[in-house]
Amino acid sequence: MNRFEILKKNKWRYISFIIGFLLLVSPFALLIRLEFWITGNLAEPSIHYACLRMPIGWIFRGAVNYLISRPEMTAFIIGVLGLSLFLGPIFCGWLCPVGAVSEAISRIIPLPNKFRIHIKDTNITSALRYGFFAGYITIYILIGLKLSGDWIGSICCRFCASTILQNLAAGIFGWLLPTYGSIEYWGTASIIVLISWLIIGGIFTYGGRGWCLFFCPLGAFSNLLYKVGAKLGFYRITYNKDKCSHCKKCNLVCPMWAIKSDHSVETALCINCKECVNICPTGALTMKWGKENATK
Amino acid sequence: MNKKVVIAFLFMFLLTISTGVYGVILSNTEPTLFWFAVPAGNITEPKVLRGPGPPINLTPIKVDIDRFTPLKKFFNPNVVEIGTHWIYNYGKKPVILRIELINCTLPVKWDVSANFPFDEKTHTFTKPLMPGQRIDGLVFHWIFEIPPELMNKPIIYQGGVKLIDANTGEVLTFIPIEIVRGELMRGGS
Repeated sequence: MNRFEILKKNKWRYISFIIGFLLLVSPFALLIRLEFWITGNLAEPSIHYACLRMPIGWIFRGAVNYLISRPEMTAFIIGVLGLSLFLGPIFCGWLCPVGAVSEAISRIIPLPNKFRIHIKDTNITSALRYGFFAGYITIYILIGLKLSGDWIGSICCRFCASTILQNLAAGIFGWLLPTYGSIEYWGTASIIVLISWLIIGGIFTYGGRGWCLFFCPLGAFSNLLYKVGAKLGFYRITYNKDKCSHCKKCNLVCPMWAIKSDHSVETALCINCKECVNICPTGALTMKWGKENATK
Repeated sequence: MNKKVVIAFLFMFLLTISTGVYGVILSNTEPTLFWFAVPAGNITEPKVLRGPGPPINLTPIKVDIDRFTPLKKFFNPNVVEIGTHWIYNYGKKPVILRIELINCTLPVKWDVSANFPFDEKTHTFTKPLMPGQRIDGLVFHWIFEIPPELMNKPIIYQGGVKLIDANTGEVLTFIPIEIVRGELMRGGS
């Protein structure tokens, strides 16, 4: 199946990516704009008000005052996490502009796959992903316990792909509409993030989701909840080994390296993007509700 | 458990912790965010202002571009960002705040967003900031672009920021700002 056929089969997902961008990224930021309009907030809407990182840190450091004082951020994160329990990480797979942009760049740039990073062992990929998540929450627990001192700090704002996306969007669309963000300033951390997110994580990573796999706390947390939800019988991907022809097409299209060696799907990595479901010629991979065949 | 899995987990855990440590190092070499409060007078040395909110660390701002990392020096050496998310009124009366950057001949972009009315022409928060309150949802950045002919000067910018009561013209707080080459820097983020 060529790229055009894949594009056609997954057209709703790619349209959804554009919608996600329009909903969250300034100068559009339509969702944030709507919320600010309702609440009378005068700030310039941008993706920062749907922060993908800080509220997770606040949860783990027990910063209830922050969670209360930024209700828009708290509501957004709880919404995404709640959806992940019942519907899987559909925000990651269908709406997140940070993941969408790096995935799109990976698909657009025709780099041969032999030059791209691809770990085929889902256990190792999961270990790397949750090693990051454990480190991320450890930092916040240390901050919450006031043990961070001057030797360790939060990695939220300084190392933030959303900021880079917002600044790039300001550079691209700033002439069109007043926008938040600025493309002029690049600090060391923002250069490191740009390289990790778009160049290594996008162009040089198979599927273009390197940042999502290894550096996104919301993605990791969402997948933990998806794993629980799948066990409870909520909306999930299921694999029927009797129908599988072992053609490995699912392996080729999965942007999250979630297909195991036996062709079943690792729910700690899968973002319910349905690329594998759409390409599977035998219907071995399907989406299901209900307790029947719930993942063990 | 598979040894490779344990190694992968620990590798990423330690990399993340190291990133947190590196972030602190970076905040010393590339400070961008500072706390502001009124009335604090002339800040000639680091000072802690106490009030109804958190203690506010006020400090003269000095950015030494020689201390930038090689990555910053290579890609974007001539742009310096200084800003704040926190402007508090620790005085006893409401104040309409005007912000003035003094002695600045460098091209500087004001990037301001807040849940508080701000007049971009006069650089004034047009609503009174009540005692004990802070400007809600503030994102405030100055982006200084250093022209090539100034890049090798020992002092690139020497001035500061005045936080002024717009009604009376009284300077409530003055924080010196310097952008230099080759001096140790004070301040933090």
